[in-house]
Amino acid sequence: MSQRAAHALAETTVVDTDVHITVPEETIATYLEEPYRSSITDSPHPMFPSSSWDQRMGGKIDDYFSTFTGPEDVREFQADFEIEYPIINTFEPLGKFSQPDLAMSLMRAYNDLLLDKFLDDYDFLGLAAVATQRPREAAEEIERIGDNDQIVGLYLGTSGEYPPLGDPSNDPIYRAAEDHDLPIVFHGNGEEFMFDFPLHNKGFNNYFEVQSLGHPWQQMATMASVIGEGVPAKFPDLNFVFLEAGIGWVPYMMHRMNKIYRMRRSEVPLLEQSPEEYIRDQFYIGSQPLGEPNRSEDMKRIIETLGADMLMFATDYPHWDFDHLEELDKYLQHYFTETERQQILYETPAEAFGLSI
Amino acid sequence: MSEHTVATVGELNDGDRKLVEVEGREIALFRTDGEFRAYTNWCIHQGGPACEGSVTGTSDAEFDREELETELQWCKEGEVLNCPWHGWEYDIPTGECLSKEGAKLPAHPVRVEDEEVVVSL
Repeated sequence: MSQRAAHALAETTVVDTDVHITVPEETIATYLEEPYRSSITDSPHPMFPSSSWDQRMGGKIDDYFSTFTGPEDVREFQADFEIEYPIINTFEPLGKFSQPDLAMSLMRAYNDLLLDKFLDDYDFLGLAAVATQRPREAAEEIERIGDNDQIVGLYLGTSGEYPPLGDPSNDPIYRAAEDHDLPIVFHGNGEEFMFDFPLHNKGFNNYFEVQSLGHPWQQMATMASVIGEGVPAKFPDLNFVFLEAGIGWVPYMMHRMNKIYRMRRSEVPLLEQSPEEYIRDQFYIGSQPLGEPNRSEDMKRIIETLGADMLMFATDYPHWDFDHLEELDKYLQHYFTETERQQILYETPAEAFGLSI
Repeated sequence: MSEHTVATVGELNDGDRKLVEVEGREIALFRTDGEFRAYTNWCIHQGGPACEGSVTGTSDAEFDREELETELQWCKEGEVLNCPWHGWEYDIPTGECLSKEGAKLPAHPVRVEDEEVVVSL
């Protein structure tokens, strides 16, 4: 890191919108109700499936993931990465579980663990896990934990979700979120590509191909579904956050959906304005993993298109494809004003998550 | 501004339209609820022949937040013009584009004089 960057970082409050805590299976088991606790501790069949892709390439990329399990690990990360406000989530996407009852139990277990281990005795900010298999039960869970000041959003994996997340069956979740002023945080997952796109997962010959498409396909599908079903029109005070697909897909989707909306407006009559207007009003985008154009001015233009009032910083730490702040900040410091930089690093997430910091 | 007689009143019933060429421009005359309106046959999207498209109604929707139910309604029957190229919708009585806020079909003043319909360009 350059001296200039180090100096600037020290003076800037940084909100990191995507920090994952790792929850070992035996730990979540202690928060689960029966019979699911025993499904982990006493069954030879793994509850959490693996796609078999080797994401860290035989160890060429180091493992920060398996040891990032406790509040002290988050403290250490904050110091090393100079992150004042990490917004932490329990990571596990819950959409893939076929048993609705198991998904509901896991949702409550992850939230109990988040409160017990990370929020009750520390001043961290966190996202509550939401499973959509039983939307009304999920809404009850939002009622249960939604008034906790340290819960600042609701975490929904966009992998393995069926029906797509904008489906009206999920409206009880969106209504409860709006009632509690909690943004919906959509998060993609490359490992879980196999649930959404099984043919491609089987057909691709390397993880390069899966990782290139997994998160953006999941996030695009979610954005199209949420806009197409009129969710932001139904719940005008609800914010939506999209994490872990980078940012370049957002202008593409805004412009593409504008075009399709104007051709097929009568098919989506709940929308009273263009998709781009809804996205600019109610949607927020996490930066990670920031694309790496060969010409840096190309990234400048993409950031300008989103705007400092839509873009937020995210590391995705401790996962292997995390971004250090330097990745985004090199563009912010070179091309943007200090006011815009502060917006992206601090004020825009404060607005998106309703943070009083 | 030039004036052109483009039709007689009796030529068009409610719901009818007539396409004419005036000074090299394609103009469409519509009769809706007894009123005549004239628009240039040019979609503001990509220049398609908007005024030659189908005339239909369109959908409206209302969301009941308490019941979490969406009610769809068919409305504006006979008042919505659909550009045949890409389906952009226009409200015939006002010329307003329903697909893009603030956009309109180019409109021309129309008056009826001695049973003749006169368009000003």
